[in-house]
Formats: sequence, C-alpha cells, structure tokens
Amino acid sequence: MITAGIDIGHQSVNAVILENNRIISHVTRVIAGEVEAAARTVFYGMLNQAGMTAARIERLFATGVGREKVTFADGNRTEMLCHVQGSHWLFPAARTVIDVGAEGSRILRCDSQGNLTNFVMNDKCASGAGVFLETVAEMMQIPPSEMGPISLDSSKKVVLTTTCAVFAESEIVAEVHRGSAKEDILAGVHESIAAKIASVTKRVGIEPELIFTGGVALNIGVVRALEKQLELDIQVPKDPEIVGALGAAILAKKSGLIS
Amino acid sequence: MITCGIDVGSLSAEAAIFVDRNLEAYSLIRTGPDSAETALSALKVALEKTAILQQDIEFTVATGYGRVIVPFADRNISEISCHAKGAHYFHPSVRTILDMGGQDCKAIRCDENGKVTSFIMNDKCAAGTGRAMEVMASLLQIQLEEIGVRSLEFDGNPVKISNTCVIFAKSEVLSLMREGVPINEILAGLCDSVAERVKALLQRLGIEDDFVISGGISKNSGVVKRLEQKLDVCAHIPEEPQIVGAVGSALFARDLLNRQ
Repeated sequence: MITAGIDIGHQSVNAVILENNRIISHVTRVIAGEVEAAARTVFYGMLNQAGMTAARIERLFATGVGREKVTFADGNRTEMLCHVQGSHWLFPAARTVIDVGAEGSRILRCDSQGNLTNFVMNDKCASGAGVFLETVAEMMQIPPSEMGPISLDSSKKVVLTTTCAVFAESEIVAEVHRGSAKEDILAGVHESIAAKIASVTKRVGIEPELIFTGGVALNIGVVRALEKQLELDIQVPKDPEIVGALGAAILAKKSGLIS
Repeated sequence: MITCGIDVGSLSAEAAIFVDRNLEAYSLIRTGPDSAETALSALKVALEKTAILQQDIEFTVATGYGRVIVPFADRNISEISCHAKGAHYFHPSVRTILDMGGQDCKAIRCDENGKVTSFIMNDKCAAGTGRAMEVMASLLQIQLEEIGVRSLEFDGNPVKISNTCVIFAKSEVLSLMREGVPINEILAGLCDSVAERVKALLQRLGIEDDFVISGGISKNSGVVKRLEQKLDVCAHIPEEPQIVGAVGSALFARDLLNRQ
C-alpha cells in the first residue's frame, strides 16, 4: 500500500511517500507565494522524484497549520496526532515528543502504542521558536545551518537576560559591541531558547524517550542545551522536519486499513 | 538649592535640573551603547540651556534601566518611585500613572503626596511597549511620530492584529499589506492592540482619577485616544511626558539634600 503525507507549516512544506513500511521519498521546501500552489509543487515534485504518478498514491493526508488548504488531499489530521505517529514509528520507545517549528513549539505525550495522551503548545511567543534563531542568524550573518556547530566551540558563558526575542536582539547587539565571541553569543542564544522549550516541556511532564522534531531540532546547539537543561538524552530523527508529514502518511495508511 | 535628575532608559535618556522647586532646564537624547557616556551627554545638553555649571549641582539622583552606571550620581532610585513623584509634580491630583517607555510599561498608583502605593509592570515582552511601535514604524517605513495621527485618520473598526508577539505580528502586518489593507487601517489596528494590552495591565491594578500618561507612548495620540475610550477616562499628559522620571529623580535629590 502506498500513502503520502504533506505537512504545511508556517514557513515550509514537507511531504513523504510511504510504501508498506518504508519511506520511499521525501521533500522539504520553503513556502513561497500561495500555500495551495506551494503544496501542489511539493507534492508533484516528490512524485516526480520517486518516478510515480499521483494515481499510485492510495491516500494522501494533510497536516500542519495550513492543512485545510490542501484541497487535493483525501483527509487531514492535526499536527499533534501526526508528530506523535511519526515519532513513534521512528522510535517505538518514544513517550515525549518536542516539536519546535518556525512559529512555535508543542510538547506531546504518547503511550506505548503511539496514542496521543496529552500536549501543551506555545504559539504565542517567538522566544522559544525557530524565527528567533533565523533572526539571530541574519543579524550575525551566519547561515542557520552553521549556528549549532559554531556554538559548540563556546568557552565563555554569555547569558541573555531578557525573555522576549525582540529585546534579546538588542542584548545580542550589545554583546557584539562588547566584543564577545560569536560562538559564545550563539551558545547564549541556544541556552535561552532551550530554557523556554524546557519550561513548556516541564509543564506537560517528561517521560523518556524524548524525541525532538521540527526544523529547530536540526540545530545541534539547541539539542545539547536542551539535554543539559532537562538532564536527559534526546533522540533526533535524521530528518526532523518531515516527522509530521510522515505521521500523516502513516495515518493515511491506518485509515485505509480500517475502511 | 540646585539638584539634578538623570533617567537613563533603554532607548532614550533625560536630564532635569532644578533650582529649588523649579524646573530650570532639561534634555532628551537617544541612548547610546555606553550608558555612562549617555548620562553625561544628557547632563551636558541640559546644562547648555542654563548658566548653571556641573559643579554647581549639589545632589544628583539617577533612575531608569541604566541608573546604576551613572558615574556622577550620588544615589539611584527606582524609576517607579521617580515616575510617581514626577507625575505628581506636573499634576498634583494624580493617583494613577501609566508610563510606557521604549522597553517596558508600568502602571503605578500613588497617594496624594506622589508616593507609590502599588504598581504592575511588564518588562518581559515587547508587545505593549514603545519598542513594538518602533519595530512597526520601521516595517511600514514611516516615522514613529506619524503612527498616532495616521491611525486616527482611519474611521471605523480597523483590522484586528491577532498576534501578541511583536515578531509574529510583523508577519501578520506584512500579509495585511500584501492583501492591500491601507496603511492607516493597519496602524489603527496596531494602536488598538497596544491599547488593549495596556488596558489589561491597568485593570489589574485598578484606576483611580486623576490618570496621567507619561513616557514616549503618550506622544502617540492613536494609542492614548483608544485607551481613553476603552477605559472611559480622561488622560492628562504632561507637557514633556518623557522627562517625568528625570523630574522625579531631581525632586528626590532635593529631598535627600534637605535631609542631610
């Protein structure tokens, strides 16, 4: 059975094709322009990449904030359900999933069967979200993908005292003027964002294993800072951004088995 | 008796020079990267307007976010106390003060002597502070001073800005611009959301007349008018609302000197 999932986030579209129990293709793209058009481009691009026609996909489920806009999908599921499904499929021991995307974070709890049991989310404040990292990358003229590795070289602690991402920008400017090294500033930024994610995580309660998904999980600096603050190891999937789309494809498959 | 008050805020710094109980001169400058230097330039700009020399000043009190690093200050006092005292100087029947600066927002209650009885402040989140307005002014490429007036040119119920976070509100404003919503209407929506946030802060504290607004935000008629409507109160605004903290600290300097 071949199913597909598509995840429309605030900034990016991710899509996955699942054949039997194997991911055969996946794509990640930044949304440019209109959402539905972006979803179509990604979906057909992925089919092309897999050498398939749309007819071979038995069922396509959409998820994410823009899931309603994927009019060509056969159904949609919330991103909470999908992230838990995807994480549990990748790591059967998963019990807590930390998903941090461009505009917010969600902490999800699940049981041994991968059923969602509880969750909390923060989509009100940018201080614990990916946009904050992007702003810092732009300010410091460092590619976002290099922020994590650079910060691991930090030898001197820089502490950002403000919570708000807007105020943190001024603090970072002050640190740059003060001559602080970029690796130390970045480490301070990662500590700060990790502290916010940790505080939301503690509200829902933590049970290992912890899985970290979403674009922010690509930043090793944030992962390490979060492990330190939660005093637990964290598993990061190879492609943390596609976990929601993967979960949608799995749910599309399960839904097919029921009907 | 010559005293001086210095208020070093996150975005602006002010100095007030008092001769006895009269405001002799004041200054208002933008905060630079070095708080100590900023404080000194604020003082110099104020002194230039009088015949008073720096050595004539008998006592100086610093206040504001940068108050601990003012090298020539004899004492420092929290901006909450200074704002209440300053507002009381300008408007003796004041009981509630809203002070919104560049990086925080304070609601203060005081007694008939200008002494603080309670207060609440937000200095954790840029939403509902002057900074939010600065960010939006630069996004919309207009002057900060234009926001209020232009927002009032829009009649009716403006578009609602649903995000609290300034960073998320920026993307929201960008998409409104793309949809072709007129700038004045967006500005009206922004002023309304700031007024809504400030209203919540004031309601938690409770308002007693007279109500005074100080700080940079009081220069934004779009926020002031909407706040007055929402709370059904009349706001009194000092002639130079940004020097209230500095005036309060100069008056504290006078009290301290009298006690010596």
